[in-house]
Amino acid sequence: MRYIGITTTIPVEIIFAAGAVPVDLNNLFISNKNRENFVKRADLDGFPRNVCTWIRGIYGTVLGEGIKEIIAVIQGDCSNTHAMAETLIDHGVKVYPFSFPYNYDSKALRSEMERLAEKLRVSSWDEIINWKKRLDRIRQLAHEIDGLSWQENKVKGLENHTFLVSTSDFEGNPDKFEKKLMQFINDAEKREPFENQVRLCYMGVPPLYGDIYDVLEGYGARVVLNEVQRQFSMPFETDDIVEQYLRYTYPYGAFRRLEDLKLEITKRNIHGVIHYAEQFCFRQIEDIIFRREIGVPYILIEGGEVFSLDARTKMRLQAFVEMLRSKIVNSRT
Amino acid sequence: MSIVGLDIGSRFTKIAFFEKQKPVFRLYDSAKFYREFGSITDNGFLLDFKKLNLREQSEIVATGYGRERATLAGATEISEIQAHTLGAIYLLRLNNFTLIDFGGQDTKIIRVESSEVVDFRTSDRCAASTGRYLENMARILGMKVEELSNYRDNPVDISSTCAVFAETELLEKMAMGIPRERLASGVNMSIVKRFLSLIKGFKNDVIVASGGVANNKAIIELLGIELQTEIKVPPNPQFTGAIGCIEFWDKG
Repeated sequence: MRYIGITTTIPVEIIFAAGAVPVDLNNLFISNKNRENFVKRADLDGFPRNVCTWIRGIYGTVLGEGIKEIIAVIQGDCSNTHAMAETLIDHGVKVYPFSFPYNYDSKALRSEMERLAEKLRVSSWDEIINWKKRLDRIRQLAHEIDGLSWQENKVKGLENHTFLVSTSDFEGNPDKFEKKLMQFINDAEKREPFENQVRLCYMGVPPLYGDIYDVLEGYGARVVLNEVQRQFSMPFETDDIVEQYLRYTYPYGAFRRLEDLKLEITKRNIHGVIHYAEQFCFRQIEDIIFRREIGVPYILIEGGEVFSLDARTKMRLQAFVEMLRSKIVNSRT
Repeated sequence: MSIVGLDIGSRFTKIAFFEKQKPVFRLYDSAKFYREFGSITDNGFLLDFKKLNLREQSEIVATGYGRERATLAGATEISEIQAHTLGAIYLLRLNNFTLIDFGGQDTKIIRVESSEVVDFRTSDRCAASTGRYLENMARILGMKVEELSNYRDNPVDISSTCAVFAETELLEKMAMGIPRERLASGVNMSIVKRFLSLIKGFKNDVIVASGGVANNKAIIELLGIELQTEIKVPPNPQFTGAIGCIEFWDKG
């Protein structure tokens, strides 16, 4: 089987159409028992410490897991990915660059997709469209889970996060993944809804610390909007695959993301926003815009190096939830 | 029954309680506190009431970093933001203000309106603008940390954003023969400067400073000049959080 690593969400239909198996390197890294060693490997090979843990982790994962080919998003994500991919080329990894056009140009995106399809030797564009139809049915199930989370209040933040984040590569096996989603929906529908929770939006790249959702739920708050993870699941109805990856907000800067966020925050009756960014990440600059424009109480938390929440971040999150709760109580009286 | 407020900070552990309507304060080094004044049990860290000279039937309300690291057996636990806010409201009888808590390893800014927290921000992971930084710098200057508060004039510029590099910078300036007074003023000013970016966007109508660093009069004065407002400091500012814990209990 031909496995192709991806550094972030890309038009995954192209990989399936090429008869290969996509592997989201982020997911492979974060769920790996050797993840600490993968980061250490990058450190030893000379990665500066002010490069985010995701980048260092992906580097170590590709080498540690013996991934031979990767698609690296070099525009529309971060420039560190670009340089990291170069170091992988140096190790003999085959790297296919992919760019989301910053100017939001559909022709440019289409030609980028065509170029990738050609490189991966996809036989026809129709094959890609067939895969889109197939994957859209599975994405629909992920959207149902998202709905069960914010509309029916029956799904935990971590569950929603996990399913959405897996739509970047469909866990390498769409059929199996589809069954898993169906089974989960079936079970979750029977649950009693959660009540009286503070409703949160988690925005930014997926967290390094997987315990954040449960910790928040321990404070009586639940994430009912996972911004970027939801974007991975392509939550838009369109038959046009190019339009799909244009409407996907993540690669196109703060303002497109903001538009989507504001809409969903209102729709989902969100009380507060947690913005996660890695230490030293350029997204902490974008934070200036988000903080000013988002319109609901907002907190920035940093990740880096560790895979569970530190005491200080816990303190901040708890105080944030307490503050939101007292605001809710006050607004009712 | 007596209520004991316990604020386990990164540097010091503060205990407050009332005896015959008068507040009693006790200060412990946090490392020593963990080593000597309790033990780890299945239910968490169990305080040694006898050793701490507290009544056995005391009710404990706790806050601070410590409570995340180790659960305190039998204690009610509240967040630091809440504890400091309640303490400041109680001690200064204010309802609308911006509270700055200068802690041992971080700084918090809390906006309080109608006695409720409406916004807060904390400094990042770096400890370069906090109590421990002052302690280190005082040590290099060969002063007691209390002595630092006498110097505010003609500060030398200390520009390192890293607490460790700032020590080196201070050493270099000592080697250049810059008088100790100017160096001490520079240390105080460096705290104020780093802090100013954190407080941007917060109202400065009424500003309250708490935490151990608020004992440093020079920093408070320099900050007041920069923010163009008078900074109010409660009595025993280091115990604001511990008093807030007691207040939490009293409010029910």
